[in-house]
Amino acid sequence: MLEDAWIPLLITLKVAVLSTAFVAVLGILISYALARREFRGKWLADIIVTLPLVLPPTVTGYLLVFLLGKNGIIGQTIFELTGWSLLFTWHAAVIAAFVVSLPLMVKTTASAISAVDRELEYAAYTLGHSELETMLFVTLPLAKKGILAGIVLSFARAVGEFGATLMVAGNIPGKTNTMSLSIYTAFQSGNDALANILVITLVVVSLLSMALTARFVDRWSV
Amino acid sequence: MGVKVSVTKEYRSRNKKGSSEDVFSLDATFETGDELVVLFGRSGSGKTTTLRCIAGLETPESGSIVVNDQTYFDSSSGVNLQPQYRRPGYVFQNYALFPHMDVRKNIIYGLKGWDKEKKEERMFEMLRLLHIEGLEDRYPSQLSGGQKQRVALARALAPNPGILLLDEPFSALDMVVRMRLRERIKAIQNELGIPVLFITHSPEEAFSLADRVIVLHNGKVHQTGSPRDVFYSPVDRNVAELVGVSNIFDNGKVVERSPVGTVVEGRGLQFITSSSVDASENVSCGIRPENVHLKPYDENLLSGNGNVFAGNVINVTDKGSSKIMAVELDGSDFILLSEVPTRLSGEIDFSRVIVEISPDDVLVFE
Repeated sequence: MLEDAWIPLLITLKVAVLSTAFVAVLGILISYALARREFRGKWLADIIVTLPLVLPPTVTGYLLVFLLGKNGIIGQTIFELTGWSLLFTWHAAVIAAFVVSLPLMVKTTASAISAVDRELEYAAYTLGHSELETMLFVTLPLAKKGILAGIVLSFARAVGEFGATLMVAGNIPGKTNTMSLSIYTAFQSGNDALANILVITLVVVSLLSMALTARFVDRWSV
Repeated sequence: MGVKVSVTKEYRSRNKKGSSEDVFSLDATFETGDELVVLFGRSGSGKTTTLRCIAGLETPESGSIVVNDQTYFDSSSGVNLQPQYRRPGYVFQNYALFPHMDVRKNIIYGLKGWDKEKKEERMFEMLRLLHIEGLEDRYPSQLSGGQKQRVALARALAPNPGILLLDEPFSALDMVVRMRLRERIKAIQNELGIPVLFITHSPEEAFSLADRVIVLHNGKVHQTGSPRDVFYSPVDRNVAELVGVSNIFDNGKVVERSPVGTVVEGRGLQFITSSSVDASENVSCGIRPENVHLKPYDENLLSGNGNVFAGNVINVTDKGSSKIMAVELDGSDFILLSEVPTRLSGEIDFSRVIVEISPDDVLVFE
């Protein structure tokens, strides 16, 4: 019984932490590009990144299967190169969580970056700092509240991810059965005791992560 | 050394309603030395765009910018140095201090690649230069407007820039702080001997600060010269209005030329001027308000030579140190504004007055 709760928690944390790490790094770069750079096809990039926010997760999952499956463009290439199939692994769960939480990160972070006074960046340029240095030491520190909010939202979204994960990673016990999936399985099979434990654990983990970030935000604010 | 600028650029400026934008075309050419130059004009005249082009924050459409013999921009040879390689000392209108850094870090931020001790030493040197010792551990949000401005100046000057650019740096400060900082800027320019370009729309600031004034209007340079040249011999009506020549009339006609001066008729009156007048029709004349002298009414004065008129004071505005009196002249709809120092204004009976204007003070322009 304890193992039935313990393993889904570990899988969920592994998937959510990894996907959030990728979301944070890539999300910041994408947000900076969208907020500060002019490039061709910017509107298209914006739409593609935002799309999973408005699509039903099952549809996102279906599209991912299309891309990552053995016959999909990405899946086929990986299979031919490494003989490794991506679908129905915990890696696929990370990808699903990444795709659905990226728009939350980008929307919050891009608006936080846009809100940073451009004159401050120009001031840094006239003081001899490159665009990268300016981004790292002026723009991002000033947008940190939005960035942190984006990370928290993305993490929460990754923990709660259900539909897309089920489509691309399945619900394989000990491999891809995350908390959300396990709660559904336990509930369906009438195992209310397990369902209760899982729900309480998930609520506690969520509250804890929110409380921790709230403390960080307080300490970081000038 | 100095600055050579010749640029064109379309630029936008918020119009007075604030919502829509007006498009202007900047076409500015000027040359200056290692002196304190004031770019003077209304908002939307292209002053800020010009300064940003020199700093590399905006790119002109064509032309060239050469600062201290180094080409910053040249459209014909494709040169366009990034601001990081121009490294001007730039003071932004809203100060642009980094809010997440204290004063020490703000100033040191521009000293890339310096030794740690050198950085610290230079930072304190700058604090001394701007009389803000002791502020190094404060954050910008804990500073007053004048202190922020001094920190912004310290930050701009710390890396030993070859040129200092200031975009309306004192517009948000009160009078006393303004006067102090003006004096500081002047002293710093004298000491460093670098070109300093200073933007303002305040005639008083332009006059008191500049070695040379460049008057911009709608994106064009209308006049360049010493403050005295610009304020007392404006070349055209636009410059005249900008520098505070408030009594202007157009469509004047030359009725007499004599060795003493030229008599111009306009608004039903005859003015004698010692300025040279080339045209004989469509002459514009202007008189600065401080050169319109008022005396208590005395019929005997009217028979004198020169510009002597009788009139009635119809309105008085007290500016504190002086009073602005609006005088309606007899036989004309021309209302002259006269600026009278408050300590002299007591002698004047506020209803009927004699107006005297020296022929030297009747300015003539296109």
